[in-house]
Amino acid sequence: MTGMRGLSVFISDVRNCQNKEAERLRVDKELGNIRTCFKNEKVLTPYKKKKYVWKMLYIHMLGYDVDFGHMEAVSLISAPKYPEKQVGYIVTSCLLNENHDFLKLAINTVRNDIIGRNETFQCLALTLVGNIGGRDFAESLAPDVQKLLISSSCRPLVRKKAALCLLRLFRKNPDAVNVDGWADRMAQLLDERDLGVLTSSTSLLVALVSNNHEAYSSCLPKCVKILERLARNQDVPQEYTYYGIPSPWLQVKAMRALQYFPTIEDPSTRKALFEVLQRILMGTDVVKNVNKNNASHAVLFEALSLVMHLDAEKEMMSQCVALLGKFISVREPNIRYLGLENMTRMLMVTDVQDIIKKHQSQIITSLKDPDISIRRRALDLLYGMCDVSNAKDIVEELLQYLSTAEFSMREELSLKAAILAEKFAPDLSWYVDVILQLIDKAGDFVSDDIWFRVVQFVTNNEDLQPYAASKAREYMDKIAIHETMVKVSAYILGEYGHLLARQPGCSASELFSILHEKLPTVSTPTIPILLSTYAKLLMHAQPPDPELQKKVWAVFKKYESCIDVEIQQRAVEYFELSKKGPAFMDVLAEMPKFPERQSSLIKKAENVEDTADQSAIKLRAQQQPSNAIVLADPQPVNGAPPPLKVPILSGSTDPESVARSLSHPNGTLSNIDPQTPSPDLLSDLLGPLAIEAPPGAVSYEQHGPVGAEGVPDEIDGSAIVPVEEQTNTVELIGNIAERFHALCLKDSGVLYEDPHIQIGIKAEWRGHHGRLVLFMGNKNTSPLTSVQALILPPAHLRLDLSPVPDTIPPRAQVQSPLEVMNIRPSRDVAVLDFSYKFGTNVVSAKLRIPATLNKFLQPLQLTSEEFFPQWRAISGPPLKLQEVVRGVRPLALPEMANLFNSFHVTICPGLDPNPNNLVASTTFYSETTGAMLCLARIETDPADRTQLRLTVGSGDPTLTFELKEFIKEQLITIPMGSRALVPAAGPAPSPAVQPPSPAALADDPGAMLAGLL
Amino acid sequence: MPVAASAIYFLNLRGDVLINRTYRDDVGGNMVDAFRTHIMQTKELGNCPVRQIGGCSFVYMRISNVYIVIVVSSNANVACGFKFVVEAVALFKSYFGGAFDEDAIRNNFVLIYELLDEIMDFGYPQNLSPEILKLYITQEGVRSPFSSKPKDKPVPNATLQVTGAVGWRREGLAYKKNEVFLDIVESVNLLMSSKGNVLRCDVTGKVLMKCFLSGMPDLKLGLNDKIGLEKESEMKSRPAKSGKTIELDDVTFHQCVNLTRFNSEKTVSFVPPDGEFELMKYRITEGVNLPFRVLPTIKELGRTRMEVNVKVKSVFGAKMFALGVVVKIPVPKQTAKTNFQVTTGRAKYNPSIDCLVWKIRKFPGQTESTLSAEIELISTMGEKKSWTRPPIQMEFQVPMFTASGLRVRFLKVWEKSGYNTVEWVRYITKAGSYEIRC
Repeated sequence: MTGMRGLSVFISDVRNCQNKEAERLRVDKELGNIRTCFKNEKVLTPYKKKKYVWKMLYIHMLGYDVDFGHMEAVSLISAPKYPEKQVGYIVTSCLLNENHDFLKLAINTVRNDIIGRNETFQCLALTLVGNIGGRDFAESLAPDVQKLLISSSCRPLVRKKAALCLLRLFRKNPDAVNVDGWADRMAQLLDERDLGVLTSSTSLLVALVSNNHEAYSSCLPKCVKILERLARNQDVPQEYTYYGIPSPWLQVKAMRALQYFPTIEDPSTRKALFEVLQRILMGTDVVKNVNKNNASHAVLFEALSLVMHLDAEKEMMSQCVALLGKFISVREPNIRYLGLENMTRMLMVTDVQDIIKKHQSQIITSLKDPDISIRRRALDLLYGMCDVSNAKDIVEELLQYLSTAEFSMREELSLKAAILAEKFAPDLSWYVDVILQLIDKAGDFVSDDIWFRVVQFVTNNEDLQPYAASKAREYMDKIAIHETMVKVSAYILGEYGHLLARQPGCSASELFSILHEKLPTVSTPTIPILLSTYAKLLMHAQPPDPELQKKVWAVFKKYESCIDVEIQQRAVEYFELSKKGPAFMDVLAEMPKFPERQSSLIKKAENVEDTADQSAIKLRAQQQPSNAIVLADPQPVNGAPPPLKVPILSGSTDPESVARSLSHPNGTLSNIDPQTPSPDLLSDLLGPLAIEAPPGAVSYEQHGPVGAEGVPDEIDGSAIVPVEEQTNTVELIGNIAERFHALCLKDSGVLYEDPHIQIGIKAEWRGHHGRLVLFMGNKNTSPLTSVQALILPPAHLRLDLSPVPDTIPPRAQVQSPLEVMNIRPSRDVAVLDFSYKFGTNVVSAKLRIPATLNKFLQPLQLTSEEFFPQWRAISGPPLKLQEVVRGVRPLALPEMANLFNSFHVTICPGLDPNPNNLVASTTFYSETTGAMLCLARIETDPADRTQLRLTVGSGDPTLTFELKEFIKEQLITIPMGSRALVPAAGPAPSPAVQPPSPAALADDPGAMLAGLL
Repeated sequence: MPVAASAIYFLNLRGDVLINRTYRDDVGGNMVDAFRTHIMQTKELGNCPVRQIGGCSFVYMRISNVYIVIVVSSNANVACGFKFVVEAVALFKSYFGGAFDEDAIRNNFVLIYELLDEIMDFGYPQNLSPEILKLYITQEGVRSPFSSKPKDKPVPNATLQVTGAVGWRREGLAYKKNEVFLDIVESVNLLMSSKGNVLRCDVTGKVLMKCFLSGMPDLKLGLNDKIGLEKESEMKSRPAKSGKTIELDDVTFHQCVNLTRFNSEKTVSFVPPDGEFELMKYRITEGVNLPFRVLPTIKELGRTRMEVNVKVKSVFGAKMFALGVVVKIPVPKQTAKTNFQVTTGRAKYNPSIDCLVWKIRKFPGQTESTLSAEIELISTMGEKKSWTRPPIQMEFQVPMFTASGLRVRFLKVWEKSGYNTVEWVRYITKAGSYEIRC
């Protein structure tokens, strides 16, 4: 580079520029100059070219856009002399990236340099490929680079670069490197003496093993050997020793590689490895020198993760914990942070918990550290290590800490304290104490869930009630208390205040006055609670206290006109109720017990957890069922503890593998779940009819907190499913059942849609004939082939489908008319078996044709003169059937009338004297019955809309039955939206025909009318 | 009146503070750092003269190599702020004589501080007239060696000057030779489409005066503007002279002009301040005489070649000539090689502004001259971005020509002593932003 005057002048010019604008002007001028020179190829000597390309690089480094001259840079690569070649390589690797087409021009030159004999050129070429090599490079260069790497004649310098270059190529195209026999070569490489080559090769190995550890299992003992060599400091040259540590980088990499192997079976290797780890654990200490500390701790922590991964003996674990304990007592905050963090990780290996407990006091001291990140870690660790034995201490410590903690932490802190208190409470009064203390100390940070929870506990545990009430009473004596405290005390005193009646200062009127003092200070949402409390106090006052009544009524009066509806309503209602005497007692009786459920706090804590390593705590929290719930209820509750969501990782729940997948996010390949049993109820229902495959396989990343949502899917760590297995999978657009249901009520619409095809339908109905047209539209730009449509008609329909063309051209629509004739009444539906081929995928679907019973009905409006004679003419079963239908989706009468009208059963308004009943008529057409009049009557109960009585009559017994069942299905299933209309699939009550009982006749005016009719 | 400034800073191009003065304490001291990091070091500089950062407004302008920044935190009158800066710079110039730049500021710290104290109080602009201020801030600036300064005896009666009826003129001036110089300076702004349609065109002009008159003279200026002529013909009850009358928009006068007389008689009559001042400003949008026509043809031949042909025609009188004509023809950024042929003047490619710059020192009226150039472009990476074709820009000066057609009809001087005066009138037309799309 020496002697390039133009370049140094330019650089000094740019440096001397006073401001940005002057610099830009200078750079633009130079760019103009370079453009001119590149254009005049005659004057472009290699020297000039080199100079200008250097200038371009400098300009590029200054941040300006250089969008020309890449050709010149690439062409310099093929120059014969070193200075030009060097420029070419450097500038190319800076200005271009792997996606540039220009690079393709260089592949051949680069290859020549790699297979050439000149070492320097080899190094330049390997560096370029290692930096910007793409897929093309991987395909054409991988064998050559591999050859270089294993060649014995090359210098270590070249082989080092070759290993790193190969790593890049592997990342771009794994197949180019993973060739037969490479695993053995890799193992040989690890026997290398030169530590530089070894370090680079281990980097390569880490990447290879993370992809496929089985193929490289032969490398495992070699890695252990390397570690042994380093640990014993044998044959480690001076230049690879960093502060007395033999090549910490190589140590870390080797241990990282080992963590990708599931386990070590060979006992001698295992023993050797543990010896090494032992040595590392023993030999690491905190020293003065920061750099040495960094290096030795990097090795140590990698060793710790390896120990955790290998599921080592307890002895070793305790040694690790002891070491970490030493770390957390150090003054240096970085080290302490690392110690706490790793201890939290160690917690996932459950059996070290007892050992960690020894350091509890030290951890609690860390809670008072000036550094907030350390305090957070300590809090996490405390939360994680808490169990029944130490819960009391830890929670008390947390409570103490609460008053000094900064605001940003208090909410999390109070939540965690509440959870721990709930989970590990030795007795429930302690739990109540803790929560009340918590509310007292950090009221603002206590969410509603916490006090709801305490109320639940108190309500469900009778023994606890007097204690809680007296506690609440105590707190009320304090001068300034938090509003949440007012809420919880008011609630508890209202419910259980009477239990204290014997104690001094706890009579109803005294309780009232002490609570009423707080009323002016609270906000609107608390007032209703207080009002309820007053009402309850009033009710519990034994003997009735007229003085108290007067006061309470005055309060109710005052709030009768409150602007807040909730308060107003309560005031009015309580006032009225309290006048009623005994009825008042019934209404305001003690609250019933709450049903047991998973603590909302734990749920909330799960949402609060933010960082990935904290999910370890979450795991633990889930593995330990809340024993407080069991404590809470004397008799064992069915199904408790609630089903906790334990994520199933790698098909096993052992914490060690969980630890592995959590602590090593290097598993770069995400796996596609092979055959997920679809959790979708709907596709089960539609199983025989709809598309066979579940709606798309879901893919999950192997690592990360998958368990958050508790997906019950199994994730296989190693299986990568070939794509071809999923041929039959198309993702549906829209829900077939919903589409079918909509088409039952209207005559045109979309029947089926997926990414390739859309099938629409249009229908006309006349009497017992129908004409449907299927529109099949190809949404793709390529044709759909082997299109087949076959009708599977039920017995009562005669269907005639015109042939469907074999191929649907791109973006075209074909029509196919379908003639329908109804022979006799039936609710069965016709099915269209439809399939096509897209590319190599065969997609088939079975679709129900919306030629349902109601399509052959025609609306008919009858007057009372016409209706009643007909109704009387149809006499009893089997022509006239009646049934009480239960489990109907509640519908208002007009809505129900609309529903009936929508399937052509016309409601005749005003015929029935009872406004809660509906009377309807319609005409049914089929070949056997001809036109047939059908009549129906629906009697609803305004008090319970989920049941009604349905009477259907017609001239044909089958028709009557079918129509009745059809209407019933519509009332029960259809309004739910997406349920299937398959016969017998609906959960309709058994079609037992219930004759009207005389008793029912007597007291039901509707039934009397029916009898009269 | 709203506040104009809370503080004023003078910065050099690097962003160092040369001098500053805080008038109100509602802005912090580190405001200039905010300006430096958020305005000077971004590309925004030069785009928008008013920026708001963290509740403070920065109103700034660049004069030679100095940034003048006004910081205000309240809802200030920005126009007033700018006017203040412009006037202050004019004041400084009149003190140091000549250039206002970094060196001048460094040489005159004390004077500038004293002036800054005087010209603004608590954020409200005060008297900025150099004539008046020179009466009581008698300190002299360090002048650049090239400018000379006429020595005159100031009468230190500041109160009278500030409160008197004719605040802008001292009593008792006496000159041996009574002279008045009148300059009409117009700048033409034009935007023309490539087909020669005028899209936007207006002229902003000002009338500058330099008076060396004894006593308290009363001057009256007559122009060929429409309102003045109509009024005159109406008063003299004779039909308006046929001939060109000019409609002036947005006329603003110097404070010395008697506005009541202007309203009633539509004549510009005034007692002038001594020395140089700007008598009036105006704008004209109708009937503008464009001095030059430009006919560009730019052809892109394939990816790497272009052909540029520009013909410039002068359309003013044949006896007149334009000076310092510069035509800037934009070319794409990838321009590598250029080849010119010009009939007059010189052309070259300037890569730092991506333009072909064609300079013609003297351009006679009623002539035309052409430039034809061949341009070769270098091929670039990736797909070629289509060139945006910025407009051609032109600079020129045409003496004794007014684009508006404005003429001075008379300039009368009355003084009690009735001396004779010599009046000099000059016209000049410059290019404002004179742009032709291509």
